[in-house]
Amino acid sequence: MASSSARAYPREKSLWLFVVPSALVVLGIQLYPVLYAVYLSFFDYHIGQSQPRFVGPDNYLALLGQDRVWASLRTTVILVASSLAVEFALGLLLALGLYKLTRGARLFSTLIFVPYLITPVVAALFLRWIFAARWGLADAVIASFDIFPPDWLGSPVWAFVTIIVADVWQFTPFVMLILYAGLQGMDEALLEAGKIDGASGPRLVWHIILPCLRPQILFVLAIRLMDSFRTFDSIYVLTGGGPGTATETLTMYTYALAFKQLDLGRASTLGVLTMLIVTGLTLMIISLMYRRERGAF
Amino acid sequence: MRRLLGQPLVVFLLSLFALFSLTPIIWAVLISIKQPADAFAIPPKLFFEPTFRFHYEIWAERRFVEFFANSTIIALGTVFISVPLGTLSAYGLSRLESKMARSYLMGLLVIRMFPHILLLIPFFIVARSLSMIDTYPAMIAAMVAINQPFTVWLMRSFFLEIPRELDEAATIDGCNAWTTFTKVILPLAKPGIVVTSLFSLLLAYNEFLFALILTGSNTKTLPVAIAEYGGEDLNYWSLSAAGAIGIMLPILLFMLFFQRHLVRGLTIGAVKG
Repeated sequence: MASSSARAYPREKSLWLFVVPSALVVLGIQLYPVLYAVYLSFFDYHIGQSQPRFVGPDNYLALLGQDRVWASLRTTVILVASSLAVEFALGLLLALGLYKLTRGARLFSTLIFVPYLITPVVAALFLRWIFAARWGLADAVIASFDIFPPDWLGSPVWAFVTIIVADVWQFTPFVMLILYAGLQGMDEALLEAGKIDGASGPRLVWHIILPCLRPQILFVLAIRLMDSFRTFDSIYVLTGGGPGTATETLTMYTYALAFKQLDLGRASTLGVLTMLIVTGLTLMIISLMYRRERGAF
Repeated sequence: MRRLLGQPLVVFLLSLFALFSLTPIIWAVLISIKQPADAFAIPPKLFFEPTFRFHYEIWAERRFVEFFANSTIIALGTVFISVPLGTLSAYGLSRLESKMARSYLMGLLVIRMFPHILLLIPFFIVARSLSMIDTYPAMIAAMVAINQPFTVWLMRSFFLEIPRELDEAATIDGCNAWTTFTKVILPLAKPGIVVTSLFSLLLAYNEFLFALILTGSNTKTLPVAIAEYGGEDLNYWSLSAAGAIGIMLPILLFMLFFQRHLVRGLTIGAVKG
């Protein structure tokens, strides 16, 4: 490295030139719009209004005082936490199953992978046809046991469950795949050593496999956290946030503020608040990742 | 573990989940090829005369060919702009060791987690004031924007796998930074470019929220079109099922064909961070 540091300076300059076009795009069509939204969050601005009117922190104060905002935050947190928990547990189980399988792992991983490749709107429609009242497959199956089926999309609790099932159905394969890849890259000698020491089953998983998979685990949790926080497609198709506002998440409410109530100022405000929450949560996970890199685990 | 769970049990559990994964798809396929009267018979009819009338109708008479063209134009436009830009940037960042490069990458990661709806509002305002709602460039710009941080991070993981000694050797042989990149590194990064393009394509083809607001009757994409169907009217079920299957099939077959690359793309991020 010592020899290359002599020309490091001119080299570094030309390397930055590679970054410039992309950086301009990121600044121009991503960072600038977000800053504009932050700016708008201090204004009263409705679609059709000619000029935004400065209102200071009023939007923030009004939203933080709204029950609907807190309810949507709670809905979001519950949806994210439950789908993450189920997806992780199932994904890990499936990954371990694939790892243990002596043959046919490729076939199974392909079959299970399929939902992940489906356009989310289409995936949500598929599940809607399963859960639709009276005509859906779920009702047909349940009714054949002489049980009166619940109103999946019409009752607040079941609507919740349906949305979680939709998320689990589509994104468990992603979790499975990452963890499975991690397992394949694992040092088998560690497993053998564990077995010789008499560990088996759950203890082997807990003490040897999970610590080895730490990077993969943090990765899937971080990605799924970011993405499920902004879930829109499946909720829009399945419940539209209903019944009432039972399944209305922060993203759904922001959408309603902006494009139904046409209140772009407040919508920006809620968007900014959401951004702060997600950024905080994700940075927490990333800092965990980096602590591991420095050796502190 | 081997004693706790035998092979048959593992196969059983995996089959069960595979069934869970495939049932909604099979059910939708069945709806799309049944007459409405058969599709909603209870208990479900397993034997029936299949019809492809709805598949024909949705594509030929309900403008789905047009929506497919719109989706394709937007998806390809996104790939052709986002991937080259991201590749260049990723190469630079993979070779830079300064703190500034590190911070820039972190900044991109933070941008990657911004709620899309927050980005959509200013996009809508600007596109509206420029009369660009319902045009391809507006939608492509939005897709490039949300895609760029991811593209850079993913491509960078591939460049990190190419040893720097190659760069140094090329420099000694008289290459400048640009020719080192184009003649030596880029050819080796081809698999990475394939993977990154696939993900960008998938993202743009699947996008719904931005398309819902930024496209209109001239540029409507498939996800928006299908979401407009599926109302409570039973007569539309078979039709929208045919549409949904039609949206799924091309991209699914395409992606399954490249499955190996996709899996590699998904997992490389988990290792390189």
